[in-house]
Parts: sequence; structure tokens; C-alpha cells
Amino acid sequence: MGMEQAWLLPAIPVALFVVVALFGRFLPREGDWLVIAGMAATVVLGLLVILDFQGYFEGSAFAPAGENHYAFEWAAIADVLAIDFSTYVDSITVVMIAVVTVVALMVMVYSVGYMHGEARYGWYFALLSFFTAAMLLLVVSGNLLQLYLAWEAVGLASYLLIGFYWERQSAAEAAKKAFITTRVGDVGLLIGIILLWRASGTFEIQEIIALAQSGGFDETYLTVAMLFLFAGAAGKSAQFPLHVWLPDAMEGPTPVSALIHAATMVVAGVYLVARMLPVFDTVLVARDVVLYVGLLTALMAATMGLVASDIKRVLAYSTVSQLGFMFVALGAGSVTAAMFHLFTHAFFKSLLFLGSGSVIHATGRQHVEQLGGLWSKMPVTGWTFLVGGLALAGLAPLAGFWSKDEILYAALSEGGAFVYVTLAATAALTALYTTRLVLLTFFGAPRDSSAHAHAHESPRIMTLPLLVLATLSVVAGVVAFDGVGELLGFAGGIGYLVFTEKAHAFEFHPDIAGAATAASLLAVAAGLVYWRGAAERAARAQAWAPELHRMLVERYYMDHLYQAAVDRIVLGLAGIVAWVDDHIVNRTGVDGGAQGIGYAGLRLKFLQTGRIPNYALAMALGIVTLALVAFGAS
Amino acid sequence: MTENDGLLLLALLLLPLGSALLLMLVPSRERSAIIALTAASSLAMFAVSVYVFLSYDYGSSEQFQGVRAWTWMENVGILGEKGIQLKVGIDGIAAAMVLLTGIITMAGTWVSWKITHRTKDFFILLYILAAGVFGTFVMLDLFFWFLLYETAVLPMYLLIAVWGSTRKEYGAMKLMMMLVAASILIFAGIFAIYTEAGLGTFDLEALFSADYPVSFQKLFFPVIAIGCGTLGGLFPLHSWSPDGHAAAPTAVSMLHAGVLMKLGAFGIIRLGFQVLPEGAEFWAPGLLTLGIVAALYGAVSALRQTDLKLMTGFSSVSHMGYVFVGLGTFNAIGITGSVLQMFAHGVMTALFFLLIGAMYDQSHDREIPHFSGMAKQMPVWAAFFVIAGLASLGLPGLSGFVAELHIFIGAFRAYPLVGGLAVLTAAITATYLLRMFAQSFFGEMHPAWSGMREMTWPERAGSAVLAGSILWLGLWPSPWIDRIAATVEGLQGVAL
Repeated sequence: MGMEQAWLLPAIPVALFVVVALFGRFLPREGDWLVIAGMAATVVLGLLVILDFQGYFEGSAFAPAGENHYAFEWAAIADVLAIDFSTYVDSITVVMIAVVTVVALMVMVYSVGYMHGEARYGWYFALLSFFTAAMLLLVVSGNLLQLYLAWEAVGLASYLLIGFYWERQSAAEAAKKAFITTRVGDVGLLIGIILLWRASGTFEIQEIIALAQSGGFDETYLTVAMLFLFAGAAGKSAQFPLHVWLPDAMEGPTPVSALIHAATMVVAGVYLVARMLPVFDTVLVARDVVLYVGLLTALMAATMGLVASDIKRVLAYSTVSQLGFMFVALGAGSVTAAMFHLFTHAFFKSLLFLGSGSVIHATGRQHVEQLGGLWSKMPVTGWTFLVGGLALAGLAPLAGFWSKDEILYAALSEGGAFVYVTLAATAALTALYTTRLVLLTFFGAPRDSSAHAHAHESPRIMTLPLLVLATLSVVAGVVAFDGVGELLGFAGGIGYLVFTEKAHAFEFHPDIAGAATAASLLAVAAGLVYWRGAAERAARAQAWAPELHRMLVERYYMDHLYQAAVDRIVLGLAGIVAWVDDHIVNRTGVDGGAQGIGYAGLRLKFLQTGRIPNYALAMALGIVTLALVAFGAS
Repeated sequence: MTENDGLLLLALLLLPLGSALLLMLVPSRERSAIIALTAASSLAMFAVSVYVFLSYDYGSSEQFQGVRAWTWMENVGILGEKGIQLKVGIDGIAAAMVLLTGIITMAGTWVSWKITHRTKDFFILLYILAAGVFGTFVMLDLFFWFLLYETAVLPMYLLIAVWGSTRKEYGAMKLMMMLVAASILIFAGIFAIYTEAGLGTFDLEALFSADYPVSFQKLFFPVIAIGCGTLGGLFPLHSWSPDGHAAAPTAVSMLHAGVLMKLGAFGIIRLGFQVLPEGAEFWAPGLLTLGIVAALYGAVSALRQTDLKLMTGFSSVSHMGYVFVGLGTFNAIGITGSVLQMFAHGVMTALFFLLIGAMYDQSHDREIPHFSGMAKQMPVWAAFFVIAGLASLGLPGLSGFVAELHIFIGAFRAYPLVGGLAVLTAAITATYLLRMFAQSFFGEMHPAWSGMREMTWPERAGSAVLAGSILWLGLWPSPWIDRIAATVEGLQGVAL
């Protein structure tokens, strides 16, 4: 078992989706155990694939050689169009497999407790299984069309899970918004894929990369194609200006937010750009766009996270911001930093989401104004949440520290001082809003006494995944160290695993990390001093600059802008077209034509007088005319 | 396919016709006999069409297979050798269309067992219509081709005017007037072709290989294209379609949008692309332009519709626009995509109309804003609706995507801008469908609809067959693509 069986990774969960979706209600516990058992098998299989892949490392040489790519024909038209199904495993794939399988298993186990007693329990697990299958198909895809198929399938899973509580109109609206917004990006993605095919004649990613590196594309054409591709990535990974759907997506069950909207699906865009980075490297304009979009998003989302009151929304803004960090890394050309941060972020962000789920489960509240004082009531949740928060804030020695350092280093060396300073400031903001979130949720006097009175620690089935993920949030960063990598059987740390041009050893940059950490520590200290868990302090912050506060709460008014654009421009245009169709095409053209004939008949019928002299006159006139024509012709 | 399979092609024509005749002998009050007869007949038609589809050998060099001919008139008047024959035979395109007709006729039959008003007469007309459709797809003689084409159109008038709803007289009259007017163009085109070829025969295979001057082809291709295109919902002659669909009873809407509109596009391929290839090549950009306009225009109009059937009707205009875009690319990928789209749109839109009918029969209301939370009351119904909707908005893994992908790729090869607009249309489609889902299916249930029942078993079975086809084509399209592409690659002048 190994890379040749990589197709089984999506096949197992999708088979279980079919079984549980159709027959789940006849199974004991609606089949949740079946889904979890299948996921456990998938984790093992993922491990086997990784081990097989690892066998190809010799020294620092990276030699996958043809053994990692398997294809069969799906559809073809003569010699002009061939669409294959293929699996491709390389270092990026390996990282993704590890993240997706582990987080999915943790979330499923957690869901047994969180979703206990909910309606459509079996359907929920079926959907989780479907999502995981689609996500795994996405990461093992060797060609872009298959990737697009999986890309849309994870979008569908996301749509159905955001709208899981569809009786709530807000959930239905959020699901719709998520689907349509990402769909706008997907239009770009599909156009990009077809443009690449048009110039290269292939959908295979490695062939396209090889062609790009040998200069087989026209540069302007390729820039346009890659920008279209990036539009898809920006939609899925909630980057400006398509970021608006992710905060609303929090309408879904919280474990779903942890799996789909923090750790896996939303990083699909990062994955796509990382996968295509060798092509982006040949068109630096497109790569710069990636960098600056990421930078703007990171900063913007962090400021919005500073004022949000819903725990899940704070985390959602944080996710958008952290995804921005990853795009900055990619824009700076460092696939290592981006994939490293993707890896660590997946663990600590899913931990934070599951922790927030635990709080919501215990209190039934999710606004920080109604929480507080939970530290003693929920020790496991509190401690693990704190670990996740510190990792997010990027404090040493937790996982987030190491990966953020890599990104800041890449930003400085490729992007320059401006990019570095902006990003470091964003990192400090991250520390600030994380401090605020932890303080307001767990410390200070409880602000809703009935919620506080009922609060209790969550059952073991929920705290166990929290502990596992907390452990990973502490230690995941060490994969950067060459010694750890060697211990695991690789040539070295992550720099030896994921790279574009050449493998590189782990470097720690005390100056860069020091400066950023100092800023973050300052932010944490400022937060500690300022909030100290008191809600009235938060209110005072609002009074300090009400307009600024309002702008942040209203998300820079972008949602309003889009809503207005859809209502006024799109629907307005649609109204005009519908009016034209009804009045011009239909009533004037079709009905008008019919009425015209009817009216002509009404008028012309008077020619039928029934009087012989009239007919005789007409006949005489006819004969004269014919005679004239005949004479004229001769 | 062997020559004997030609008898099965004939059977596709005779089965519905024979069933209609038998039905005339059954007394109207014997409902169970009517149901048993139509059940057997629809199953038989389905089985034969599946067999015909599968047995079409795409590896063979013979383009037309199962060819059998019986001479009816020759050497009389203007007719020469083999003047008019009953000649059957199919190519890969017709094979796909036969399968489509088999599937939809079967599902349409099942859902029509609910009809209580003049049930027998309904089925007689429905099967005459089905005979016309099957016949047009398998006929290789231009005389019978046109005869059966008209046979498929004419029963519509009675079916809508007697069994319809919402402004049915208006809808029926408009549909009939526009389609008959268009038929006059086809009629003129057919006689022009017959005369110009000067072979004294209506044999289509002979007419395909005859020589026509380029100027003649350029002059008469538009005549055929407009004539057939009207039935295919070609912009701006589409306006019979939304109103006709809105007025028609469920099974008629299914057959109508599902297969009858495809007759139009099929006619353009048969008479346009195969008989007048140089005319087709000359006019292809025009077809493409009207197609992309229709695709966008239909989708944007659908955004503003509140009647569920009108929305689906405009959606059909939009999706048929894709068919014309594919034809207009004049390359093998695009045209293959067109035929795939004819199939994909057929099963998807038939499923839409089946489901709308299942609801309307109970609610007598189709206004989208009047509904909310229907997924609570009718979960199976809503699930099927979502599948049809996702196919319609081009979700990969479902039929629509396979077809649209080929059309997009073909369009990008020929005219990248048109390709881009076509992809954009798919996003608009997502908008109007998801708005409708969020409005009508989700949210809290409106108490007015608490009396609504789930679909009946025949409706569920019909939906399952249609949804199964959507999934099959979406996940494993090779059986279709191999057959269709084998024929498309053989079209004269078409770029690979």
C-alpha cells in the first residue's frame, strides 16, 4: 500500500457517505461510528502513503520519479481533448494529507458529543464524510480539471453544512452567500484552467509547470491565466475582495467551522497557488498580486477581528487574516513558509474553533458580552483555548511562532521593509485581538449569570480532541527543525520537504523573530492591562472613536456595498431585460404580429362586400393591369 | 449494430403509435387497463432505447447503423429511384437522443397516471407525440422526417389547451402559431434541397453526399436554422417557450422542454450541418452570437421571474443558448458539447418540470415568494430539486458540467471572449437557483403548506430515473462522448 493507492483516500469516505446518506437511518446511532471508523482507516492509509513517499528521499535528493503519478482516461475526443483521472503525490500533497485526515478525525470524534441529540445527526456525519472525500480528492489530483471537480464538491459540502440548520433563514442566506461568492471566484478558476489548456493542450499540472519553466507560454497570456486562477483561489480562501462569505459561514455547526472554514477547505486556495507556484514564479506580476492581496486581507481582517463580539466571528476574521499571511508567503515565493504556516494554523485554529464550540455547547451563548468567568468552570476548554490562542498570537515556543517567523523572513527578504512592517504590525494586532478574546471569554466577572450558572465542562469525547489538538499546537512547529525531520526519516526539516527550487536547512532569525515577538508581547501586555476581562472597558473603546469602531463592526461596509450592487445593478439590469422580453420581444414582436394580422383581417374583410359591381370593377382593373404589364414586357 | 437492429429502430416508432391505437380500443373508464398498458409500453420503449444506445458501435467506420429501408413510392411524378422510403438508421447523435426520449417518455408516463380528466385521450396524444419524436430521431428519409417532425409538434396544441393551466389557450395558440410558421421555413428548405440535389429521392444519405453550390448553401442554411431553431428556443424566437411551458401539463412540459426543443437543434445538425456544411460554416458565427445572447439573456431574465415554471422556462432558453454556442464554435469539442448539453438539459429540465408538477398539483400555486421551508414538508422532493438545480448550475459530477465544459472549451478555442461570457452565465444561473432555494426550500416553513404531501411513488420513481441519468452522465460520460464524438468528427468542415 502506498502512493499507488492514493485514490483510496477519497474513495473510502465517499463510499461511506453514500452508505450513511441512504441507509444511515437504519443503522444504530445513525451510522456515526461507520463514518469515524472509515476516517480512522483513511488516517492509516494516509500514513502509509506518506511512508511510501518518504522512501523516495535519499539524502536531500527529492526523487519521486514517475512512481507518484497514476492516471486513467475519463473522457476523450479523438486527439484533441483528453481528460484523465490521475493521482499525484508530492511533498505538498503529503502535508495536506496529514492535515486533512488528522483534523477530520478529531472533528468527527468531537462531533459525537457536540451534535448529540440534533436532528439529522446521520446526515451530518454523511456530509462530513463527503466533505473529507472531496478535500482528499482535491489534494491528490494530478490535473486541474479533476482539481476543479473536487474544488466544487468541497464547495457543495460547505454549502450544505453552512446551511445545516436550514430552518434558520440566516443559515440559508449564509449558505447561499458562501456558494455564490466562491462561485464568482470559480468562474475565474475555470477560465484560468481552460486558458492554460488552450495554450498547452493539457490539464496535467506537472506538464503545465514544465512548459511554463521552459518558456512555452506567452508571458502576458500566462499572467492573465494565472490571475484568473488566483481569482478562484481568492474566492475559496476568502481573500479580499471575496472574503465576505467566511464570517457569515459561521452559521454552520461549530465543528464544521473548525474543519471546513479553518483548517481545510479555506486553505484550498493556498494549496492551489502553492501547487502552481513554479508557474507564478515565471510571471512575477501575478505573484506580486498574490502578495499584496494577501497583505491587504491580513491587515483588514485583523482589524475587524478586534471589534467583533461573536467568538466564532472573531475566529473567522482571524482565519481570513492568517490565510492572508500564507498568501504573502506565496507571493514572496516561499512555498515552504506558506505550507508550514498552513500546517500549524490548521491545528491551532481548529483547536480554537472546537474550544469555542465547547463554550457554546456549555453556555448556549456565543457573544463575548454574555460570557466571562468560565476559566474555573471549564478548565480543559480554558487551558486548551489558551494554548491555541498563544499559538495564534505567535508566541514562542508554540507552533504558530515558528511558522510566522518563516513568513516574516520571506516577507522581508522578498517583499521589502514595507511588507515586513505591515505584516509584523498585523501579527501584533493578532496578539491583541486574541488576548481580548481569551480575556473576555474566560476571565472577569460573568456577564450573563444564568449562562454562567449552567456552564459545565464538556464531555470527554469533546475534550479529548481538544487535548490532542492542543498538543499538536504546541509541538507542530518543531517539524521545522532538521533534527526532528531526520528523526522522522526525512532528509531534514520542512525546508527539505517542501520547496520550489532547492532544499534548505532550517534557519532561525533572532532579529526578525525578536522584533515581531516583542511587538506581539507588547500587544498582549497592552491587552492584559486594558481589558482585564472587564466588558465596560470594551464599551469604552467604542466611545473612543465611534465612527472607526462602527466602520470595523460594519466590515468596512463592503457587505452593504455588495448587497446594494446585487440589488440595484444586477437585479435592475435583470428587470430591464425581463421588461424588454415581455414588452418588446413578446408583446410587440409576437403578440403584436398576431394582432397586426388580426387587425389587417378586420380591415380587409370589407373588401368582401358581396356586391357584384365591386367585384366586376376589381376584375376589370386586374385585366387592365395585366394587359399593361404584358404589353410593357413585349 | 446489425442491420436487424434496424427493426428495433422501427419498433421505436411503432411502439408508441401502436400503444396509441390500442388505447383507442380501451374503454375510458378502465383506468387500470390504461395504466397497465402505458406502463408496459413505456418500459418497452425505455428498454429498446437503452439497447439501441448501447449497441451503437462507435468504433465502426459505418456512420449510420441499423439502416433499413422500405420503399413507399418511386418513379412517379417528380420522384425517381427510391423516391420516398421509410428508411431508418441512426448515428451517434441520434443514438443519444433516442436514449433521452426513452428516459423522458417513461418518466412522463409515470407521472401522468395522476391525471383524472380524459386520461385515455391524454395518453393517446402523448404517445402520438412520442412517436413523432422517436421517429424524427431515427428517420433517414427527408419526407418522413418532416412528417414525423410535424407529428411531434401538433399534439402539443390539444395537450396544452385541454389539460394545461395558467393562460393555457394563449400559451397553446402562441406555441402553435410560432412553430407552424417556422415549419413553413423548414418545408421550403426541404424542397429547395430536394430540387437542388436533383436526385429524385428524399433519401437523406443520398442528400448528404450530393453537391450543392456554396451560394445555395449560404442562402438556405439560415432558412433551416431559423425554422428548426424556433423549436430549439433560438433567441429572439424563444418567446413561445416560457409561456408554453407555464401553460402545459407536467408530462407535456417534460417532453416538450426535455426532448421537443432538442428536435430543433437536432434538425439544425441533420439538415444544416450534414446537408449544407459550407452554409453551416459560413453562418456558424451568427449561430454562436445568437446562442451566447440567449444564454445570458435567458439567465438574466430568469433572475426576475417569480413563477417557478417561468423561471425554469427562461432557464431553458439560457441552456439551449449553450447548445447554439457549441454548434457555432464549429469545432468537434464544441459540437460534441452541444449534443451532450441537449441530453443533459433534457433530463435536468424534465426533472424540474416533474417536481414543479408534483408541487403544483397540490398547491395550485407556483409563485416562489409564496413558499418557504418546503424542505421540511417534502424532503425527498426538495432533495431531487436540489440535484436538478445543481446540475443546472453546472456542478462538476453532474450532467450539466460535462456538457458545459465541452462547450466552454470549444468556445475558448474559437472565440475566447464568448467562452468567458459562457462561463459567467453559469455563475448567474447559480444566483437565480440558489436565491430560489433559500427562499422556498429553506427557512421556517410557511404554515399554509402544512397539508402538502410528499411525492407519490410513481413520481419518486420517475425522479430517480432522471436523477440517475444526471449522475451517470456527470460521473462517467464516456459512453455518450464516444458515440457523439465519433459522429461529430465525421462532419464535413468541422475543425477537430
